[in-house]
Amino acid sequence: MTTTGVGERTTDAPQVVGKGLKVGALGLVSSLVIGVASTAPAYSLAASLGLVTAVVGLFAPSIMLIAFVPMLFIAAAYYYMNRADPDCGTTFTWVTRSIGPKAGWLAGWGILVTDLVVMPSLSQIAGSYTFSLFGANGLAQSKFWVTFVGVIWIIVMTLICYIGIELSARTQVGLLGAEIVILIVFAAIALAKVAAGGVAHSVTPSISWLNPFRIPSAAALASGILVAVFIYWGWDTAVTVNEESKDAKRTPGVAALLSTLVLLLVYVVVSFAAQSFHGATFLTNNSSDVLNALSKAVLGSPWNKLLIIAVLTSASASTQTTILPAARSSLSMAVHKAFPARFGGINPRFLSPGFSTLLFGAVAIVWYVVLTLISPNVLANSILALGFGIAFYYAMTGYACVVYYRRHVFKSLKNFVFIGLAPLIGALILTWAFVDSVFVYSNPANSQGRAWFTFIHFNVHVIGVHLYVHGVGSALVIGLGLLLVGLPLMLIWRIRHPAFFKRDREVAESMDGSAPPLTPGVLPVTD
Amino acid sequence: MAPNIVLGYDGSDGSKAALATAVTVARAFEARLTIVFGYEPNPMGGESSDYRSQLEALGKGVVAEAIAAARAQDASVEVEELVVPMRPAESLLEAAEQRGALAIVVGGTGERPILGAILGSVPHKLLYRSSVPVLVVPTPE
Repeated sequence: MTTTGVGERTTDAPQVVGKGLKVGALGLVSSLVIGVASTAPAYSLAASLGLVTAVVGLFAPSIMLIAFVPMLFIAAAYYYMNRADPDCGTTFTWVTRSIGPKAGWLAGWGILVTDLVVMPSLSQIAGSYTFSLFGANGLAQSKFWVTFVGVIWIIVMTLICYIGIELSARTQVGLLGAEIVILIVFAAIALAKVAAGGVAHSVTPSISWLNPFRIPSAAALASGILVAVFIYWGWDTAVTVNEESKDAKRTPGVAALLSTLVLLLVYVVVSFAAQSFHGATFLTNNSSDVLNALSKAVLGSPWNKLLIIAVLTSASASTQTTILPAARSSLSMAVHKAFPARFGGINPRFLSPGFSTLLFGAVAIVWYVVLTLISPNVLANSILALGFGIAFYYAMTGYACVVYYRRHVFKSLKNFVFIGLAPLIGALILTWAFVDSVFVYSNPANSQGRAWFTFIHFNVHVIGVHLYVHGVGSALVIGLGLLLVGLPLMLIWRIRHPAFFKRDREVAESMDGSAPPLTPGVLPVTD
Repeated sequence: MAPNIVLGYDGSDGSKAALATAVTVARAFEARLTIVFGYEPNPMGGESSDYRSQLEALGKGVVAEAIAAARAQDASVEVEELVVPMRPAESLLEAAEQRGALAIVVGGTGERPILGAILGSVPHKLLYRSSVPVLVVPTPE
């Protein structure tokens, strides 16, 4: 009776035994699919196109282009931080490592808040498009019934994540392929109908729609970017799933590049076609179900159902890629003793982060219902608020990369560009969009709905710019408020559990070596 | 190659019953017993670094219990542990193939067939895909 060392061997070098089947399964196509499916193009367009045109009018395609720049730059930070932290790390661990535990805690909080804020928008889209699919357009407008289906949606998706039901790689390729094809066909038909003439309120497409310098004001650009970063949110997954790819050095780069092209193409072409069909004002006026509103006129019944199905499958992928990382982030924080230990519990039957997953689902339902009751435009306020969260933790990741690799930035031109310049510029652009939008949405006129805190009156001088702030809009309260709630929570946790906050900052010793485990010697937490 | 029995073990009641049977079978055939725990986070959603290490720690703990139970039942059976980052069914199939196992032993979940199909039933997958005999041990009432 002996216990051989095979178990230990497999953990040191899992590829010896463990990766045999998987390596074949997760190649370039899968990395690409995971990246694009996580971004959920059809849902992202359905949720945000009308809001982008509300801010920049016909220059929506240019915002689609320019918002990608900070995302691309931040992706460089993701790529290099992911190299230091093996497997797919989290912004929480990266920021804790490089900038420090307090910043790391807040970055982790930022992820959780951002994931929470997107849930009402996802449920709203899922609810209203479900009714549209069955032709119940009256119910699709009913606040109660949409919320009802939205809540069921959250429950079902939470259970799927809890149980760990996964689509096979082939099914995912099929669903995503169909989604992209439907969007492109939709755009092509819309453009063809516009060219043929006779479409009411159609606008002749113009190449100037791609010129960001024609956007009327810097404030419009900033809030446009803040809305549009949302449509690329999730794309970074393509960069971080490298660990299982066939050729770990090359595949993630190529997959990220290809998924970039796919997303850029889809977003630019669809926004081009959508706004030329009935004009930008039509999109703004129908911002809560923009693709549904267009689909009948463009595709005709019953073909418009295809677009609705594409939005729904896309929203389901997006809900999954919201609940999974949220639960894993709170698990991660619990493992490092930055969160109560219960969040680190693993359900033994389904091997999922059970407590984290179910609690996130429950909080999301409460948040969705409360928001529906108090906010006149759930979708718009969620998307606007979401921009704050994404900008916050993506920028933190960018800064973390520069700080962590600071000794290597000037060692070569490649280093300088990819681990210095790109992450820093990306982070600065997002910081600017964040700060500028705080002032934009401080004016309730720019937020969807009435001001929530009308008693706040202040004016500020910033480098000669005089800003008057009268009352605070709901998007700002949601976006900034939830992030700020993290501050007192962090301080309370710090007083009661100081261990996590005593950790030292780290700096990269080399470009290729992986960093030591973040929490050596801490006992794992299980149910 | 010495004869080998592969056991899927996750700490559930069904897998405990399977362990007892597997030890008996391994003893009868003078085979080595390989206790397998497979885990794999869904690649969708990323952020799986700490999740993986939690799963691995859980797996090691569960398998350590299994080894202790196997020793208590019959100390003469040679036991090997295998905690691998693969889906449970795949980890069993590969372990069995690499070792030319006599059989894979798993516990029945005790779930109704349709529920099992929804929740992901490992025995069900094995019955379709395994190239070696599969022994499914019912969960005691």
